[in-house]
Amino acid sequence: MLLLLLSMTISPDINGQQRFPMPEFESGYEYPDVSTPEPRSLTLEYIDVIVLLAMLSVTSWLVIKKRSRRYILWLSVGALLYFGFWKNGCVCSVGSVQNMVLSLSDSSYAVSYAIIAFFTLPLLFSLGFGRVFCASVCPLGVIQDLVIVKPVKVPVWVRKSLGMFPFVYLALAVLYAATGTDFIICRYDPFVGIFRMGAEFHLIVLGIAFLLIGMFVARPYCRFVCPFGALLKITSLFSKHHMSITPAQCIKCKLCKDSCPFDAIEQPTPDKAVSELKGKTGKFILYAAIIPLLMFVGGWALSSSHVFLAKAHPDVYLAHLLIEQPEVMNDLDNLDVQTFLGSDRTLDSLVQDAETVQAGFYTGAWLTGAFIGLVAGFFLVSQYIIRRRTDYEPHRGDCYSCGRCFKYCPVEK
Amino acid sequence: MDIKEKAEIAKNTAKVAGAFCLVISLLLILNFWQMHSSDPLESDVLETLVERLSLEPGNQELINQIRELDLLARKAYFTSLWQVRTGGYLLLFASIILIISLRIHSSLLSRIEKPDEEDEDIVLGRALSRKWILGGTAIMVLVALAAAFSVSDPLKEYMAAIDEPAEETIERISISDAEPTPAPAPDEDSVEEEAGEVEVQADERPEQPVAATPATARFPNEAAIRQNHNAFRGPWGNGVIYHTSIPMEWDGESGNNIRWKVKVPVHAFSSPVIWGDRLFLTGADETRRVVFCFNRHSGNILWEEEASNIPGSPRELPRTTDDTGLGAPTVTTNGIGVYAIFGTGDVMALDMEGNRIWARNLSVPDNHYGHSSSLLTHNEKLFVQYDTRDGGRIICLNVANGETIWDITRESGISWASPILANIDGNMQLVVNGIPIVAGYNIENGNELWSVQAMGGEVGPSPAYGGGLVYAANEYARLVAIDPGNGEVIWEDNYYLPEVASPVYSDGLLFISTTYAVFACFDAQTGEFLWDYDTDDIFYSSPLVANGHVYVTDTGGKTYIFRVGREPQLVATNSIGEEVYTIPAFADGRIYIRGEEYLYCIEN
Repeated sequence: MLLLLLSMTISPDINGQQRFPMPEFESGYEYPDVSTPEPRSLTLEYIDVIVLLAMLSVTSWLVIKKRSRRYILWLSVGALLYFGFWKNGCVCSVGSVQNMVLSLSDSSYAVSYAIIAFFTLPLLFSLGFGRVFCASVCPLGVIQDLVIVKPVKVPVWVRKSLGMFPFVYLALAVLYAATGTDFIICRYDPFVGIFRMGAEFHLIVLGIAFLLIGMFVARPYCRFVCPFGALLKITSLFSKHHMSITPAQCIKCKLCKDSCPFDAIEQPTPDKAVSELKGKTGKFILYAAIIPLLMFVGGWALSSSHVFLAKAHPDVYLAHLLIEQPEVMNDLDNLDVQTFLGSDRTLDSLVQDAETVQAGFYTGAWLTGAFIGLVAGFFLVSQYIIRRRTDYEPHRGDCYSCGRCFKYCPVEK
Repeated sequence: MDIKEKAEIAKNTAKVAGAFCLVISLLLILNFWQMHSSDPLESDVLETLVERLSLEPGNQELINQIRELDLLARKAYFTSLWQVRTGGYLLLFASIILIISLRIHSSLLSRIEKPDEEDEDIVLGRALSRKWILGGTAIMVLVALAAAFSVSDPLKEYMAAIDEPAEETIERISISDAEPTPAPAPDEDSVEEEAGEVEVQADERPEQPVAATPATARFPNEAAIRQNHNAFRGPWGNGVIYHTSIPMEWDGESGNNIRWKVKVPVHAFSSPVIWGDRLFLTGADETRRVVFCFNRHSGNILWEEEASNIPGSPRELPRTTDDTGLGAPTVTTNGIGVYAIFGTGDVMALDMEGNRIWARNLSVPDNHYGHSSSLLTHNEKLFVQYDTRDGGRIICLNVANGETIWDITRESGISWASPILANIDGNMQLVVNGIPIVAGYNIENGNELWSVQAMGGEVGPSPAYGGGLVYAANEYARLVAIDPGNGEVIWEDNYYLPEVASPVYSDGLLFISTTYAVFACFDAQTGEFLWDYDTDDIFYSSPLVANGHVYVTDTGGKTYIFRVGREPQLVATNSIGEEVYTIPAFADGRIYIRGEEYLYCIEN
């Protein structure tokens, strides 16, 4: 009920706008922008980058040196207020992936230095210190972190299979951004509506659903959806100075074993598991060999649906609509159609543009599908790779460096 | 204060916050339901008052009442909005307190548990993971394939249709000498209408060999055309009627001044045309495309002829919308023959007795609503404005045998307008409205004489000519007055624009009827807006000028008769009793209106 109510109450601005067309004032009154943040000045953008850099640096210090969960927590509250509520959640590192991709695919699209910084700094810091960005800088992660009440352990097979989704989402986001169709990560950002206290109904529902689930399944968006998290996971795997649970030598007391709400603590590798997996070298080779096949199937399947995928592009959508339902041209309330009719474009030119976009989707869908097949192949193959571990250690890819486990370790420096 | 007490406080705080959340939630539900169940802008009372206002436009008391009620409704709505918004913030605040309390309570009572002795079974976990990864991958593939099959690609079909070469085939039927047929009076009430004649040698064009040209055809002169209503929007398609005795009062429901009404056997949006005692119109549905000939005095059907067995006619009917269909173009006649075109691209020439002279298919018009441009004839020529998605085209056919005299493509796109003929500086020009150009063409060879890029959107209204200027307009574009001598735009305006109905000129004034139920008058020479009149329904039917009055019929079937003047002078309003999308045909003392079902003959 809470979910429904919050959805209803945060969205009335939107309903209000729809029900009452904006009156035309002659008094010079300017409308407030209710759902889209104003573009930030250059100075503020630089300040944002400085704040980001400072927060990443302080978090790294707090995680690696100070080892203080309390300070990390307070820093994260500050980040939530600054990057989330004050900055209205935009531009964020998570969405900056799309800006970067579009700037590479479309030479007429330029990204600001601030966006480049927002994209690269978290990745660079993760190469150095793990996912410190997720720990206390990302407002999307922090808002979920703060609502964790009683986290449950998620079975390993659920974590592994759902863990593929961020890569799939990333691949689709790249496809849509590269074709100039949409920034789907931003469009379906579940928390931006809460930061702005106003968004489309379904987004508010989605955000509140994530928060409610997040009370028991810690950080569900970070773990099973976030496409930027997929990139951070890879870079963090190679981090030079990742946090450790213990400040000195692990005594294998197991006290930290269940301390992580994200199930990111790896136990020492049992000898039995090593020997059993060693006997499956043949299967490892088999799965490694079928990776190209998985890539082909992925590419073929997704390219088959390129028309469906391309319908998200406004030109393709409009061309399909006008050809399949020409009577829509009489619909004066259909702003897309009326805008088109009022423009100088002809249906022929629209269809030609739409065809070009669809062709781009066909190629893009092949690449995207192949990438997804590659990810599935790696996930399968990785199930046969085992690293001999003697201590309780954080999983470098999955650990958010939140520091909850620090207090569970009885060992002192 | 010990831990237990702190935990108790946290627990009680959580309880209070939870209860608060619940109460706010219930209030919000109530408010939300109230907001959605009563829409202030669609209040019945308000609508009733607005309706009353349309009947009493000057009632200041009523206007004030509406304003007060509207203000009240808006105040109530925005108060509700404020309540919901404030409630939302309160709920959010209480939810934060609830979560913090729960977290404190949970952390106060939590303790480091003794860890399980058993570690996670890595091998079993990985085996399960492999299955789920494979399963997940398979599901993704299936979803992608399902998405692939769930949509078709209309773009391909569209582009293929564009690339298809146009096929033109002609069925030639020889005829003997033909003369304009004043048509013998079928009954005593027939009106004698002289059809003057001029002799034209049809075989004057050796470069266009004709298979079955009549040796000599006598085509009607200007006086004969003025006496008839031989095309869409009357003589030369210009919306000007030359009869002087026109009915001013009728009522379809009571039958007042209705001489007869007959049900038209097949529906279509084409308008009636008249020659002598005969009235022609078309009907079209999925099974047949027909030309009907009525005795215009009695309403009896004299003959009907189907457009069938025409070489090149498509086996599968082109897709059209319900508001256009396959029978939107109006026929034209010259007293020798009746010429019809349908949305299939079939053009057919019949003699006045319904015998087919020739028929051919011009290739299926690629038109998402359906072809609607009407035909126009002048001497031996039959003009077809064939603006389709393939581009703009005007075709001139020989009325005697259907052969192409000239066929030009032009720099324009699809349109739904019909051509008009205008006598400019002593020469007849074919004037055409389209997108984006308004242009005049030499009727002898199709050469473009002038053109102006002035239109946008989907052009439906035909042009008008009067006072030495050509007038063209379209919704989403503009209203322009053009000097056809040099193609110069004399004035333009965009205050009132028609979407379907065409403008008409009379006595220095220009009249526009819109699809937002406004009939407007402009000074035709300067473009000065003079007056407007709000009507009950919107206009698809174009206004016609007759005997110093403008007749314009809205879609509700009500005809407004205004005196032509610089002030609005509504002389009469008459309702036919059913919806009307067509343009009336005028004869001396009579008006013929085609409604959605019936054809009416009005006579004072």
